[in-house]
Amino acid sequence: MKISLKARFVSVAAVAALAGTVVVGAPTAANAAPQCATANFVTQCAGAGADGAPYMMIAAANFNGTVFIWSHGIRPAINIPASLAPVGPYTITNAAEPGPLASSGDLSVINKLVAAGYGVAGSGYSRQSINTTEALAANKELIATFKTKFPTTKTVIAWGNSLGAMHSQMLAEKHPELVDGVIMGCPAANPSDALVSYFGDALWGFKALFDPSIKVGGYSTDPVVRQQEQLANIGKVLLVLSKLSAGLTTGAWPDTASPAGKALQAAGVPSRSALLTVGLMAGIPTRSKHVDGTSGPTGAAETYPLAIAPAVAILENMGTVGVAGSLLIADGELLTGGKVYDNSKTDYAARVAADADIYSFALSGNNAVNAIIGALAATPRETADPAAVAKIPSVIGLKGEIKKPTIIFQSESDEYTPASIVQWYIDTYGDQYAAEKAKAMADAKKSRAYSAPINNLVTLWIKTAPKYSTFTAAGSPDLTAAVGAGTGHCLFTSAQWLAAANLMTETLANGKFPLGGKIATIARKAGMTYDNKFRVPTFKALG
Amino acid sequence: MIRINRRKLITTSAVLAIAALTVTTVPAQALNPHMASEPGLTASTIKLGMTSPLTGIAAPGYSKIPGAMKAYFDYVNANGGVNGRKIVFVSKDDQYIPTTAVAKANELILRDKVFALVGTLGTASTKALTSSTQLSKRGIPSLFVNTGWSGFADKKAYPTTFSILPSYQMEAKIMAKMIKDKYAGKKLALIYQDDDFGRDALAGFKTAGLSFDLAIPYASGSQALPATGAGWITKLKAASPDVTVMFGVSSATTALLGAAAQGGWVGKTQFILGSVGGDATTIANTSKALVPLLTGAKGFSFAPAPTDSSDEYIKLFQTIYAAAQPKETFDNNVVAGMSNAFFTVQALKAAGPNLTRAGLIKVIETKGASLPNPFLTPLGYSATSHVGATGYWIGTYGPTGALTPDGGKYTVYTTDSGTGAVVESTYKRPAMPAKGL
Repeated sequence: MKISLKARFVSVAAVAALAGTVVVGAPTAANAAPQCATANFVTQCAGAGADGAPYMMIAAANFNGTVFIWSHGIRPAINIPASLAPVGPYTITNAAEPGPLASSGDLSVINKLVAAGYGVAGSGYSRQSINTTEALAANKELIATFKTKFPTTKTVIAWGNSLGAMHSQMLAEKHPELVDGVIMGCPAANPSDALVSYFGDALWGFKALFDPSIKVGGYSTDPVVRQQEQLANIGKVLLVLSKLSAGLTTGAWPDTASPAGKALQAAGVPSRSALLTVGLMAGIPTRSKHVDGTSGPTGAAETYPLAIAPAVAILENMGTVGVAGSLLIADGELLTGGKVYDNSKTDYAARVAADADIYSFALSGNNAVNAIIGALAATPRETADPAAVAKIPSVIGLKGEIKKPTIIFQSESDEYTPASIVQWYIDTYGDQYAAEKAKAMADAKKSRAYSAPINNLVTLWIKTAPKYSTFTAAGSPDLTAAVGAGTGHCLFTSAQWLAAANLMTETLANGKFPLGGKIATIARKAGMTYDNKFRVPTFKALG
Repeated sequence: MIRINRRKLITTSAVLAIAALTVTTVPAQALNPHMASEPGLTASTIKLGMTSPLTGIAAPGYSKIPGAMKAYFDYVNANGGVNGRKIVFVSKDDQYIPTTAVAKANELILRDKVFALVGTLGTASTKALTSSTQLSKRGIPSLFVNTGWSGFADKKAYPTTFSILPSYQMEAKIMAKMIKDKYAGKKLALIYQDDDFGRDALAGFKTAGLSFDLAIPYASGSQALPATGAGWITKLKAASPDVTVMFGVSSATTALLGAAAQGGWVGKTQFILGSVGGDATTIANTSKALVPLLTGAKGFSFAPAPTDSSDEYIKLFQTIYAAAQPKETFDNNVVAGMSNAFFTVQALKAAGPNLTRAGLIKVIETKGASLPNPFLTPLGYSATSHVGATGYWIGTYGPTGALTPDGGKYTVYTTDSGTGAVVESTYKRPAMPAKGL
C-alpha cells in the first residue's frame, strides 16, 4: 500500500526556486527588513518576521490593492528518514510559501493572480506541526509588512489549506479588522476534540487489535526520545498496514496481533473485518484515492465491492491517518503538557451500529462485529490528562464563527481532514445565521424595516465519483492509476483555487455573494458542486 | 401614486380574468404556490425515482420489480395520470451494493430532481442511502421501501420513510406460531442472514419463545460463494434437523437447495422459507432443476398469490403486465412491484391536487391505513408509525414453485413488531377502485 504524504509535507524547494528568480538571498535574521527585487514589473520580497519566520511577498506594478495571505498546510516538526518511505525522507523546513500548489512546484495560481493585479504573500512560520500560535502572529505581522511595502493595499483575503485553513479562520475570528474575506480548502478544525478522537480512535484500534506496542499517546517529554517514539510508531503502523494488505483476501492477521486480535483470528474473524471495524468506529472514509467501493476486478465485480473494497479503502486511508495521528498527537501533548486523547467513555458499539448492516459482508456479519466490539470492550482504554485537554482550545480552538465572506471547498472523501469538519462549519454557521435573522426580525418590530442578514458562507464540494477504481491483472486496486475525484487530502487543482479566488474577489467587490446559479456555474466549471442541501456525516465523536 | 395603484388594479383584474378562464382547463394544482419549490413536480408531471438491483447478485427476480412498477405507472398515465399529472418514473441500477445505492440516490435527488423515492430495495442499501443523502433533513419522501426491517417503521428515526412489507419480526412471530402448532417437539434448524434482517428474525423468534437446536448465520452476500452453501449442508447433516428454516434472501435459498442437491441431502428435512427467500423465479434463474426441490416447503406471503386470477387485483395486474411485458413471467416480484406502484398512486391521489412532499407524508400517516391496496393484511400507518402491512398467510410450495394457501384459502395472521399476540385477522381490504386507478 502506497502512502502519499510526501507531496504534502515536502517539496517546498519549488517555492525557493520562485523566489530565486529575482531575489538573491532571503534574510534569515529575525525582524530583518524584506529584501526586494523587481523584474519584468513584478516585485518579489523575502524577509523574516519577529520570531524568525521567513516570508515572501509578490506584487506587480499593476497591483490593485487586494492581497491574498496564504497559510500553508502542516509540515512535520521532526525529520523523517528515508527508511520510512514513502513518508520520508523529510527534513524540517520553514521555507516561506506564498500561495497554493507552490509547494508542489505549480506556480500557476500565484502567477495568474499576480498577473491580474493581485498581491500574494505567505509565511513559512518559525515552527512546524501544530503551529497555530506562531501562524497567527506571523500572519498579523505579514499583513502589516505587506501594507508597509505596498501602501495601496485595501483588501486582505486570508486563505489556506488544511492546517493553514485553520490559521486563516483563526486570523478572521481573532482579528476580523485585518481580514476582508476567507478561503479555506480542506480545513482542519477540532470541534469538541473530534479531530483528536478521529486520529486517536484509529490508532487505538490498531493498538488494541493489531499491535499492542503502537502508541496512541503518552509520548516522552524528552524531545529526542519523543522523536524516536514517533518514528517508531510510524514504522509500526506502516508495517501493520503491509501485513493487513497481505492478508486482505485470506483474512490472515498480522503476527503482531494483540491477544484480543489473536482470539478473533482463532474465532475465524478475518483481519479485514477488524480493520474495517476500526475504520468505521473512527469515521475514516470507506472510499479512498484508488478504491471507489463500487467496482471489482474481473470475476469478482459483484462480490469485491461488498466483501473486500471497504476494508481496502480503510487500508489506503489509514496510511495517512496512522502517520498523521502519530505526528499530531505527540505534538499536541508537547504543546499542552499531557495526554490529550481519551476514549475511556467511548461507546464503540454505538459508533458502528448504523454501519454494521451497510457493510455486513465486509464485516463478516453481526456475530463478527459483536466479537470485535467485545474484544475492544475488554481492552484497556486511554485516559487523558484533564489539564492538557483543557489547554487544547487555546492551541487549536476555533469557534467556527463566520464574520467575513467565507468560501470553503472540500473533497467528500478526505481522509486527513474529514468532510465532517466542513459540516461542522455549515451547521455552526446555520445556527449563527438563524440567530442573526431572529435578531433582525426582532429589530424590525421596533424599526418597522426588516433587513435580512447577508449570507457569508459558501461551500463548494468535490464529490466523490461513483466509479474510478481500476484493477491490476492480479485483481488488486491499481495504486498507480489516477486518483478518484473527491478523494484524498487537499488534492485541488489550480482551476479550483482560482475559482475560489475569483468568487471571493467578486463577492468583496459587490458586497455579497452572487446568486446561487452563478456560484453553481463557477463551481461546475472547476469540477466542484454548489449544493446548499448536500450534507456529509458529522464526526463519529460528536454523535 | 394613484396612477400606479390603478395600474395594479387593472393588472390584478386581468390576472383574475385569465385565471377564471383557465381554471377549468388548468389543473388546480398549477395554482399551488408551493409547487414551484417542490422538486420533481410540474403542473403536468410527478417525477419518482427508484434504485434497486438490475444487475449483480440480487438481480435475478428483483430486477423485474422496476419494470412491473413502470407497467402500472404507464397504465395510470394512459388513463389520465394522478390528479391530472403523469408519473415520470426513473429507475437506476445499484447492483445491491450500498455504496452504489447511495450514488444512485444522489443522482436521483440532485440530477434527476425526483419528487420522491419509491421502492428502494434491500435493508442495507436503503439504510445507507437514507442516512447518506439525508432524506429526512431534505424532507424527501421515501415511499414503500422493499425491505421488512422493522426500523424503517420508526417514524422518529425515519420521518420520511414508509415501509410496505410486514416486518421480519412479525414474520418470525407468525412463523414461530406455525412451527409450534405444526412441528411441536421437532428438532429445529435456522439459517439466517447475519445483519439487521436476521436480527429482526431472531428478535421475533425470541419474543415468540421459539428456540432452535442449530442456528447458522451467514454474512449478507456470502451466499454467492460456493463454500457457504456447502458449509451449511455439512452442519445440517451433522445435526439432522426435522425442520429447517431459511430466513434469508432467495439467492441464499438457491445456495441451500443447490448445496443440498450436491451433498445428497434432499428430502431430509421440512423446509420453511421466509417470504423474502422463497421466490421461485430467482431460484429458477440460477437453475430450473432446483425449483422442484421447493415442493412441500412452507412459505409466507401478504399479497395474493400471482396465480390467483380470482383476485381482482391479480387479474388487473396480469392484464396490464401481459400487455407491457408479454415475454416475462408474471410472478411474486411482479406482484410486489405493481402493488407498490398501485399504492404509491393511491397515496399521491389522496394527497390531492395541491401536492407537496410534506402533504404526501401527512396523508399516508392519516389516511394510509384505509387507502385501497392489494394486500391481504391490515396496514399500520398512523401518526406515530410508518409500518405497512402487518401479517402473513401461510402456504405450501408446489413443484413449479407456486405458493398456494394452506386449506385452500387465505388465512391471514396479524401481529406487531413488539410483544403483541399473533391472531387470525378479520381484516377486509377496501374494494379496488374502478379500473384499478
